[in-house]
Amino acid sequence: MSGRDVDLRVSIGSLELRSPVMPASGTFGSGREYADLVDLSRLGAIVTKGVSLEPWPGNPQPRIVETASGMLNSIGLQNPGVEAFCANDLPWLAAQGLAVIVNVSGHSVDEYVAVAKRLDREPAVSALELNVSCPNVDAGGMQFGTSCEAAASVTAAVRATTSKPLIVKLSPNVGDIAAIARSVEGAGADAVSLINTLLGMAIDVETQRPVLARRVGGLSGPAIKPVALRMVWDVYEAVRVPVIGMGGIASAHDAVEFMLAGATAVAVGTANFVDPAAMTRILDGVEAYCRERGVARVADLVGAAHRGAGGGQ
Amino acid sequence: MSCCGEAAEHGAGDGGQRKLLEQVVVEANERVATGVGLLALRAPRMAASVRPGQFVHLRIAEGTAFILRRPFSVHRARGETIEVLYQVVGVGTRWLAEREPGDAMDAIGPLGSGWRIPQGAAHALLVAGGLGAAPLGMLAEALAERGVAVSVAQGAPTAERLVAAGLFEDVARRVETATDDGSAGVRGFVTALVPALLEQDRPDVVYACGPEPMMCAVARMAAEAGVPCQVSLERLMACGVGACLSCTVSTRSGLKRACADGPVFDAVDVVWAQDEVEGLKR
Repeated sequence: MSGRDVDLRVSIGSLELRSPVMPASGTFGSGREYADLVDLSRLGAIVTKGVSLEPWPGNPQPRIVETASGMLNSIGLQNPGVEAFCANDLPWLAAQGLAVIVNVSGHSVDEYVAVAKRLDREPAVSALELNVSCPNVDAGGMQFGTSCEAAASVTAAVRATTSKPLIVKLSPNVGDIAAIARSVEGAGADAVSLINTLLGMAIDVETQRPVLARRVGGLSGPAIKPVALRMVWDVYEAVRVPVIGMGGIASAHDAVEFMLAGATAVAVGTANFVDPAAMTRILDGVEAYCRERGVARVADLVGAAHRGAGGGQ
Repeated sequence: MSCCGEAAEHGAGDGGQRKLLEQVVVEANERVATGVGLLALRAPRMAASVRPGQFVHLRIAEGTAFILRRPFSVHRARGETIEVLYQVVGVGTRWLAEREPGDAMDAIGPLGSGWRIPQGAAHALLVAGGLGAAPLGMLAEALAERGVAVSVAQGAPTAERLVAAGLFEDVARRVETATDDGSAGVRGFVTALVPALLEQDRPDVVYACGPEPMMCAVARMAAEAGVPCQVSLERLMACGVGACLSCTVSTRSGLKRACADGPVFDAVDVVWAQDEVEGLKR
């Protein structure tokens, strides 16, 4: 089988990726945890868990609950801080020869800037993903991603401190995600990624209390896919920078939908928990889809649904 | 693992063990007590490398049905077979109960740290509460094989639910039981048996698994007696491999992951917080 006849490479700004599939931040550790189970070399990039300036403890237990076709999490960006990340995770990632996108978290603009500045010195870091959309922390996180002004100001501040490609990860918990996308594009973002989780909750009817210790959490999994797809569609029409699409992707069919809606690359999150082979399986399926339709380059799929064509037919 | 106070002493080195994604086949699936099943899975690669106290992460349901994996302690490993004990408590375990011989399922394992056998240990006390007997089965056999004397204190709601009692009888020199209804052994909790066992027949190490309040109580008794104690903790878990940070355990050296740093912890390191476990029932 001539399995390599489809060109799987895509570009996110100046960042060249060998394939359009990557893990979503927070679902894949720093890749090392899955190295026995997944052929990481096939992925477009590794997207790390959120990294903050100081160590963050995250939220109390319980942190997750399963819901219909999905799950709620309130991990709260637990991480050992940027210095520990650079000392413990980066050397391993550098040795793998993978593109590394580091998800950057902060409580304040100054903290985002400090993390970005620290990571700018690290050649193993290929790009930064600015997390202005985590629903599970009180200060920072989503508060920077739910107003155009705040999103633009943190984006501009980080833009000024880093030479690396800058991706801004957007929250779906807003009235007009396209407006936020335009704001961060205007502030210098090289790409946008969407969506982060949808704010939700579950209540234990036995105890009559919220299941999650923090009461609310972020909904992910196949349940949110149609919402995410619609947002990718809207944002693709609103901005010129590349879009990384995510939200409930569990199959090649899902991934192709996101690309047709305008995603240049896709991220797989919750599906990794159910099937560690999800990303490589999706990649195989996307490649087969292109081959069957005579699509020479996977990039030709991007936004094809907006043009009213099926992608090379 | 960073939680280990003592060097791991099991045969296979930690460094040499790989996580496997294996298609396993149901060999048998039998009801062993009310609401409790014993699943025997043909899993040649995992059976060869699993250590006592480790777990497997089983994929539940097929096709496009989306449901998180469920973690199960390996109860025993023999030849190419691993066994897990499960209690039917929700949609995932109901699905498991419906599996028949020949059915395939997808398993990740062996995962987590195992029980550690301290160098020079001559006598071990195993304390099992309810389905907490599951990870202690393989341990009891491994201890006996090494010539370590095994005592067991086992508790359950009723005599019928003293799962794995036969295994313990076979390998232990002494088995004491407690049931909620008094249908076997003494009436009451298994913790009531522990002080006398610690005092009269002092073990070199205590291993406990069961409801968290039980493990907390056993840990205190062992600490008072000056005997090292290990516990196997349960948390809701998504990835099972250390990536998602769903299953954190508070320890004296910070938050650890039940899946990757545990599930076995030295009891002295655990910061017990009973309110942390309220959400575990599903």
